[in-house]
Amino acid sequence: MRGTLLYIGQRLVLIAVTTVLVSSIVFLLLHQIPGNAFLNETRQTPQALAAELHRYGLDLPLQNQYVNWVQGVLHGNLGESLVNRQVKITPLLVRETSVSATVGFFALLVTVGLGLILGVLAALRQNTWVDYLASSTAVVGYSIPSFVIAIFGLLVFGHYLYLWTQGTFYYVPGWGKLEQIPVPALALGLPYASYVARLTRASMLETIRTDYVRTAWAKGLKARVVVVRHALRNALIPVVTILGPLITGIITGSVVIENIFGIPGLGKEFVTSILARDYNIVIGVFTFYAALVGLANLTVDVIYPILDPRIRY
Amino acid sequence: MNAVDGVSFEVDRGEIVGIVGESGSGKTMTALSLLRLIPEPGKITSGRILYGEKDVAQMTDEEIREFRGNEIAMIFQDPMTSLNPVLRIGFQVEEAMIAHQRFTNKQAKERVVPMLQRVRIPAAKDRVRDYPHQFSGGMRQRAMIAMGVSNEPSLLIADEPTTALDVTVQASIIELIRDLSRELRAAVILITHNMALVASLCNRVIVMYAGRVVEEGPTRAIFKNPQHPYTWSLLRSMPRVDEKEKERLISIKGLPPDLGKMPPGCKFHPRCKFRVDRCFTEEPPLAEVDPGQQARCWVLMKNIPDPEAQAKT
Ligand SMILES: Nc1ncnc2c1ncn2[C@@H]1O[C@H](COP(=O)(O)OP(=O)(O)OP(=O)(O)O)[C@@H](O)[C@H]1O
Ligand code: SF4
Ligand SMILES: [Mg+2]
Repeated sequence: MRGTLLYIGQRLVLIAVTTVLVSSIVFLLLHQIPGNAFLNETRQTPQALAAELHRYGLDLPLQNQYVNWVQGVLHGNLGESLVNRQVKITPLLVRETSVSATVGFFALLVTVGLGLILGVLAALRQNTWVDYLASSTAVVGYSIPSFVIAIFGLLVFGHYLYLWTQGTFYYVPGWGKLEQIPVPALALGLPYASYVARLTRASMLETIRTDYVRTAWAKGLKARVVVVRHALRNALIPVVTILGPLITGIITGSVVIENIFGIPGLGKEFVTSILARDYNIVIGVFTFYAALVGLANLTVDVIYPILDPRIRY
Repeated sequence: MNAVDGVSFEVDRGEIVGIVGESGSGKTMTALSLLRLIPEPGKITSGRILYGEKDVAQMTDEEIREFRGNEIAMIFQDPMTSLNPVLRIGFQVEEAMIAHQRFTNKQAKERVVPMLQRVRIPAAKDRVRDYPHQFSGGMRQRAMIAMGVSNEPSLLIADEPTTALDVTVQASIIELIRDLSRELRAAVILITHNMALVASLCNRVIVMYAGRVVEEGPTRAIFKNPQHPYTWSLLRSMPRVDEKEKERLISIKGLPPDLGKMPPGCKFHPRCKFRVDRCFTEEPPLAEVDPGQQARCWVLMKNIPDPEAQAKT
């Protein structure tokens, strides 16, 4: 237990360091992009521009800007938006993160839920039509990129089924209705679900042939108990190891999906802020992403030894 | 292809029967078929597996489940792989009891520690919550035995229970199996390569070759008067302390037949030193050679005047 806590502590420090490193790199790179946040303001005099730059400290040498920024971050303050004046970035990103996290959570549910069900079914009915159907679905799902599924989803649910959906997904402005979640979550999660399904199938096929599963049968346990408690429980271990990269994939994938569906999350902000050269927001988004990916992977690593007692930190 | 063909033998309560034979002779398959646990795609193609009045081959899935671990328990060769690595030892013993309605869940829970003590696991109270990887090979095999006898089965099948273990613990495991079978008045089928073990422990011996029983009878009779040339060679290939050093061990030349390329006639004829013309075409039946002793051979060793001399040719 103490070992685990120590391990978590170390990992948290590592995540913090990584996050700072990532945002520092972004900070430096971002200022190499030509242009700035104020260029598309009309009727701008050179004096006005200089005043704006001065107001946000953008006329200072880069290292001074960096120091200022780091000081802000250490106080949990990511600064203000350069485009939408007076908008504080930290609460904005927290709000957007919660939107993204909701969609991401459901996408993960699709990924793991659907993936496990398909994988287990295919393995238990190996070389029957169930297996072929599940396996070919998985291959198709894996070969179609999520943005294609997203556009297809929009077309079906937003256009062909307009009478039924009433355009919930993109005609109705605003976000926050539960029924807006399934289609983007499906688009985001489906390719990874196929991946999980294939992995689960292979892993299940391996475990149901193990000696300890044979022991479980020989004990006279019910089929359901043998399959779930003995075979699946062990088959899950390799699946959990890829959960970290999977979550990372869902987080990065959300950039595309959120822009297609107009979901006001971190992914949408990511693109909008870069286009607007809203430096502070871009850096903030990256900071959040780095922390999210780190925390997600940490969560997985903490779950792992619960599933496999042979692993101890 | 038949891995095991027309095997039939009797085991009575309180009796220890040894099954011996080379690797691949179908010993494990025979044992597994008693529990209908033949690995896929194998199956029982014909015949009956009678256990008392019951035909294992005709049981429904639920009947066979109730039967496994309850009437017949099995201990496998490799304790390193036969226990589920992610479940606690105590729980694995407990669930074996819960699977059959012999005990209430509460009773089952309370019986775990006494069971582990009964198989002589030191500090059983502290070790119930251990995982298999925290147990040594010998301790794991003890846990397997605890699991096996927890429902007080009437037949215990031990498939080479000590082959995978350290020589130093082999004897104590065998002793444990013998003592428990006496206490529980259970019959034991002991599958082994070790003829010395058979001689010291078993009431009766079954010798298998190429998936068939080739000789069967009381241990004393088999060791003193082996009638099948294979049994005879097996005993001859066994080193004995009381023998004069001059008498060289005679090993059995050649390999047991491949499943796919079973020879016609007597399956042992390609390696038999005593064969006659008939052996090449007709397979002998298992016939009584002495009261209680049966052998599957046209010639029989008692009809060979000087087997030693003939074997050396
Ligand atoms: N999983 C399997 N798939 C195909 N054939 C198998 C399988 N297991 C065993 N066999 C074959 O069935 C035959 C009987 O094997 P079995 O395991 O019963 O032999 P055994 O007498 O127990 O040998 P050992 O002493 O090595 O344990 C062998 O010819 C073997 O090749
Ligand atoms: S039947 Fe013939 S070949 Fe077979 S064991 Fe007897 S003597 Fe040898
Ligand atoms: Mg075997």
